[in-house]
Amino acid sequence: MKKGLAINVLLCLIVLAPAFSADTAEKLGDNPDGSRATPLHLIPLLAEPLTGKEPDQIHPGDEPVLPFSMKQTCGACHSYDIIGAGWHFNAADPNVDPGRKGQPWILADAAAATQIPLSYRPWPGTFRPEQLGVTPMKFLELFGRQMPGGGIGEMLHKTDNPEEILRLNITGQLEINCQACHDTSPGLDMGSAAGYAWQIIRGNYRWAATASCDFAYVTGTTQGLPEYYDYMAPFISENTKLRPPAVEYSKSAFGHNDWVRFDISRDIPRQRCYFCHSNADIHKGQIEQWKADEDIHIKAGLTCVDCHTHGLEHNITRGYAWESCDSNNPLVPVSSCEGCHLGEGSSKPVRGRFAAPVPKHAGIPPVHFDKLSCTACHSGAWPAASTIHTKTSRAHAIGVAGANPSPDVLPHLSYPVFARQRDGKLAPHKIFWPAYWAEMTGDTVTPLNMDIVKDATSKVITRDALSKVGDWPDLTQHDIAKILSLLAPNMSEGARLVYIGGGKLYSLDEAGKLASARSEWAAPYMWPIAHDVRPAAQSLGVRNCQDCHTTDSPFLFGLVSVDSPLKTAAGTSVEMVKFEDLPRFYTKAFAWSFIFRPWLKVVAILSSFVIAGVLLLYTLRALWFVTKVVVGKD
Amino acid sequence: MFRTVAITGFVAVIAAIVLHFVISRPKFDDVFGKDRALRILDPLRLLVLFVTLLFVEQKWSLVGALRKLVFLLALLCFVILAVTGFVPRVVIGEAISGWWLFIHAIAAGIFAACLAILAVLWADENRLDKNYWPWLNRILNRQPKSETPPEKYEIKLKICFWLILALSLPVILSAILSMFPLFGTHWQENLLLIHRYSTLFLSLFAIAYLYLAAISEIEKTTAK
Repeated sequence: MKKGLAINVLLCLIVLAPAFSADTAEKLGDNPDGSRATPLHLIPLLAEPLTGKEPDQIHPGDEPVLPFSMKQTCGACHSYDIIGAGWHFNAADPNVDPGRKGQPWILADAAAATQIPLSYRPWPGTFRPEQLGVTPMKFLELFGRQMPGGGIGEMLHKTDNPEEILRLNITGQLEINCQACHDTSPGLDMGSAAGYAWQIIRGNYRWAATASCDFAYVTGTTQGLPEYYDYMAPFISENTKLRPPAVEYSKSAFGHNDWVRFDISRDIPRQRCYFCHSNADIHKGQIEQWKADEDIHIKAGLTCVDCHTHGLEHNITRGYAWESCDSNNPLVPVSSCEGCHLGEGSSKPVRGRFAAPVPKHAGIPPVHFDKLSCTACHSGAWPAASTIHTKTSRAHAIGVAGANPSPDVLPHLSYPVFARQRDGKLAPHKIFWPAYWAEMTGDTVTPLNMDIVKDATSKVITRDALSKVGDWPDLTQHDIAKILSLLAPNMSEGARLVYIGGGKLYSLDEAGKLASARSEWAAPYMWPIAHDVRPAAQSLGVRNCQDCHTTDSPFLFGLVSVDSPLKTAAGTSVEMVKFEDLPRFYTKAFAWSFIFRPWLKVVAILSSFVIAGVLLLYTLRALWFVTKVVVGKD
Repeated sequence: MFRTVAITGFVAVIAAIVLHFVISRPKFDDVFGKDRALRILDPLRLLVLFVTLLFVEQKWSLVGALRKLVFLLALLCFVILAVTGFVPRVVIGEAISGWWLFIHAIAAGIFAACLAILAVLWADENRLDKNYWPWLNRILNRQPKSETPPEKYEIKLKICFWLILALSLPVILSAILSMFPLFGTHWQENLLLIHRYSTLFLSLFAIAYLYLAAISEIEKTTAK
């Protein structure tokens, strides 16, 4: 008996050993041999395997034609789990250092008078999606369009919602789409109506990566499909309107052994990054990208990945000054502004990477570098009298077919706002003013579940009140009071209902009247920006000190518009000095003093000439005397 | 480093002044008279005397009035510059900024102009034209032109004057040149260093000059 048990255990170990070793074994692509040439990726397409089975190769004549799995196809040679722990995929990992705060996902719903920052990373000022009742699947519905997959996309099973658990069988998980970055084919489809983003919007997570490839086309949707739908089996239904996802591969893509060639590169073209990381400034109500210059580094010939780089672990460098405290990427010290342009290595010079010019900063007192980040003078739009409205890919779905092109669509972002970042230096930030419904217990504000909010707001904010372009609805204080009253039954014990918006906190007083107050919870959400970097000849201070040091300087006294859902509060603004935490009177006085700076220079130089003249005169007299003594004529 | 040097310098100069005063101080009876009341106030009387001695003798002419006015203005600016320049850096341990910098910049221009005027007005009477170093004349086998012996602190005062003038050039130029787009960050830091150290030595010589001028006047008064 014991002998039989021992033999069984041994057999289990022998059978399971390859499985254990497969997870930890180094794969072919994990350690490149050092060649800068890109290996040819002529590889089989592998489908998502059934539990416990090996993945099947996809052939063009298969029935049904399955989407290929990135995890299996790319994962055959590259350790998917190591890659999956990288920065683009690890937002939901609580063990990852969140680093410097960045752009959050913004849940914007005009009908609910809401624009609220969400993030799985614990960035101050953001809320976790589940606080608003946003499950991982709902999160993907809202934002998956411009997510590279993996991360929360493979955590869809972590939900208490039984409907979503069942739906997961239909949609599949959203695996990492390696092609989103690494495919250099001009036919990569991320944003078109049949591309990656729209597959995610339709709930076709399993098919999304396939749809992005230029040799595949995906039609149909998982929305409305019954629970018994099996993507591996033919779908039969009486409802002829249902069209499950279907893949069509280009037959010419399959070559020898039905392998497919992928145009893969480590040197990722900037268009790949731009799909998720584009900015569009709005000038006079219009967005015209041809009028805006790209980042100077791009124009100089660099790619995004020259600076934002990583190895197999995909722990990308973000490029901020103190990133070494948050990341163990060995290239972090030489991948920031200072690292490339000013870095001083201990054993060898490190500045000048990629021919980065070493700036002289002639005429700029060194105290500026203690108080200002590099981006303060070099990044973003040239400061104007008031902040510039802007749209971004992730906030406004720009680059995705059918995205609202209106410059007024929510969320309302603006920039540059100069404020202190974590290292105490002033840096340009993007800003938006959160607006949301919440309950307040003591000093803590907790946003309400969006379903509850929408239920209440739909009774007050009618269709007629909604903006045709996605802007704020026509909202009055009376409307806010009414909605708060409707939300009252949902209030927790000991809490009071509030509405945060336009920098203020609104609540009903004991008499039932709406009162507003300032609150730290109503503070705007800001995140530092670094792009687009302007050329050196367009940096602040390049002309003279008065680029910043004048009494009407946008850098110090520009107006930051306060975005409020309330029409009555529209048009308000805050002076930049408030965000910079500078005393207004002193800053004005110091700026005013620069009027007299040329006089100071003239007086000082003339005085120096006079003093030098006196010294020279009497030194020459002394020299004359000495010569006389030496020659004996004295 | 600068903080240490500055503190050492000020302590050394003040200690030297105090030591010199203790050793060679004129008797209070000679200075204030034997019939003075409340002798316990003698230190206060001495302080007031020092201050009044800073109000240099005024000659009844436009140039005389200008001399006194410019000197007092320079003295006031020197105090302001010293306080606004050294207190943040040496006492608080921070770079000069905010209102300290604002006031420092205002006083700086006025001080530079006053120094230039004083240089023109006082250069001639600070010439080294007497038999200051008899030993040197012996070595050079030279007969001095004037047999008038120098006053007790005259040579020290004149040397301090010329050192103050000479140091004022790097003080002014290091600050002003940094305002032009001529020097990059490395040399901006060097200019700041030059400004700090030349200002420190100028301040020390100025303190010494003021003390020597005051003690010289006191001794002249008691000698009478």
